[in-house]
Amino acid sequence: MIGKLSIDLHKLAKFTNLAIPILAVLFFLAGFRFSFYFHFLTVTFLFLTVINLFYLHVQSSHSVLRNFGILGQGRYMLESIGPELRQYLFANDTEEKPFNRTERAEVYRKAQNIDSASSFGSQFEFDSSEIKIRHSMFPIGKDKLVPYRLTFGEERGITKTYTINKPFVISAMSYGALGEKAVRSFARGAKMAGIPMNTGEGGYPKYHLDEGCDLIFQMGTAKFGVRNEDGTLNDDKLKELAGKESIKMVEIKFSQGAKPGKGGLLPKEKITDEIAELRGVPKDRDVVSPSSHAECTDIENTVAFIKHVQDVTELPVGIKLCVGRPQQFEELVVEMKRQDVFPDWITVDGAEGGTGAAPKAFIDRVGMPLFPALKSVNDILTKNGVRDRLKLMASGKLVAPGRQMVAFCLGADAIYSARGFMLSLGCIQALQCGNNTCPVGITTHDPALQHGINIDAKAPRIANYVHNLEHDLEELLASAGCRSVKELTFDHLYVPSESTLHPFINAN
Amino acid sequence: MKNKAYIFSWIAQLIAVVIMGQTLFFKFTGHPETIVIFEEKLNMPGGQYVIGTLELIACILLLIPNSIAYGALLGAGLMTGAIIGHFTKIGWEGSHLQLGIMAFITLASCISILLIRRKELPFINAALKEKCEQAND
Repeated sequence: MIGKLSIDLHKLAKFTNLAIPILAVLFFLAGFRFSFYFHFLTVTFLFLTVINLFYLHVQSSHSVLRNFGILGQGRYMLESIGPELRQYLFANDTEEKPFNRTERAEVYRKAQNIDSASSFGSQFEFDSSEIKIRHSMFPIGKDKLVPYRLTFGEERGITKTYTINKPFVISAMSYGALGEKAVRSFARGAKMAGIPMNTGEGGYPKYHLDEGCDLIFQMGTAKFGVRNEDGTLNDDKLKELAGKESIKMVEIKFSQGAKPGKGGLLPKEKITDEIAELRGVPKDRDVVSPSSHAECTDIENTVAFIKHVQDVTELPVGIKLCVGRPQQFEELVVEMKRQDVFPDWITVDGAEGGTGAAPKAFIDRVGMPLFPALKSVNDILTKNGVRDRLKLMASGKLVAPGRQMVAFCLGADAIYSARGFMLSLGCIQALQCGNNTCPVGITTHDPALQHGINIDAKAPRIANYVHNLEHDLEELLASAGCRSVKELTFDHLYVPSESTLHPFINAN
Repeated sequence: MKNKAYIFSWIAQLIAVVIMGQTLFFKFTGHPETIVIFEEKLNMPGGQYVIGTLELIACILLLIPNSIAYGALLGAGLMTGAIIGHFTKIGWEGSHLQLGIMAFITLASCISILLIRRKELPFINAALKEKCEQAND
């Protein structure tokens, strides 16, 4: 039998634990006999011995340290840099979540105006789950395309309608979730790109307003900025806010993809004095919004509440929700028909959505994914004959033109994205949004980390990203032989059998 | 309770800084007593500058809020070395007894600071946390 070389970590640890005090003694003797300088090592190893004894015999919260002593720290050290090692060295280009390197690279290239042509075939799994767009045998010229134009509020005939000329909107991220510089960069970039930005449910939109871009004010379940003490709507505050020049529309958030059925969450690490004041909340604990609006307890008063907000603001008013049960949504639509009240748009947030911090179970397990949810919503609206009474917006990982096209085919009129814009601002997907430790300074209030963002350098990237998305969208539309996104239908999609959209093929 | 502990920590910090700090004057000016200790007894000529510099660093760290625990660690290490010196080479006669006792007092101060601020120390703090963030026991 030939002895094999192998490393027994437990034996190695035991040897180390024995060696440390022995070395302390040896260095002591060397210090005594040769040079007093050896006692630097004596003291070091003496301290290591004490720490090791503490690990092995005193503390009880970590089994690894109790059994392995100081070498056990190696596990924690390596584990702590595991995400970085995997991302940089070991994970392949298509396996990271939520966005793999291929997807992130596409956004980075768009944001920096670098050509995104790639060669030698797709990285995707072709035959199993990828939805494809069916192109036409007779693509049209790009000159035949109808310029994109979407007017919110036109169905109700209000005076203050709002028109967008590009189908992209920066999705809801609050000041609180984002740091000041990130908010300013997004707002300035949105202004340069000519698209609106959603404020998120972060209370009075201070830095958003500074930059003068068009804003969609989001009213979350806690109604930060427009609330009474008891959590109900303060009409006067809302009216005052809606009167501002920059505020073009108001979105009532019923639920969001990161945590459907739960209110917004701002971890206490991220609550500064200013945020506490803007939201009117205490600093020393997480801010948890209620799971629903105080006014909305059933379908009837929910629809009435939408009407109320429309009347108070005199602006286009939309709602945002993540679909749980399509049947319930249908009940809502029926009630809208009965009261003849429709929001000016509905934002369907896919369960995959989520810049926000949320309990893991909610991020992973609650709510319908965007594509089947969007399709269901569009079908329900069409079935009830009210699809032309409102617009549909879609959000949920729509960072690249491919998925955006799919959303258009499923009935979306415009695209909401948050993470796409974060990536174009330099997000590296470190997954630390809730810890106030964002390494690129986007989701943090730490001035030392925000130092990483130069607003003047980053804002144009938002505009570049929008511009290149628009370019790709036009190319895709032309190849599908459609003159505008309105002409896209479910039939423009090739849906493989393993897709979540596959059941809808038979239904149609 | 926490505030009391921090007040106690600051008192200990000041004790350690004052004791270590006043010896720096003798070390850096080459006081005859210092020469005797470092050159004759310990056989480390010029060692007073090495030790003196390290003590100066420890004093500074002990006064900066973010680095107090590190200063205490360095101070405790230096004082342990000093006590080893007294036991093995310097002895306890005359003024050396006084110096040795001061080393003990400083060591005790530094250890108190370390105990109060144990959660600020790297390597130790992980083992002290009741809950660990990634739940990796």
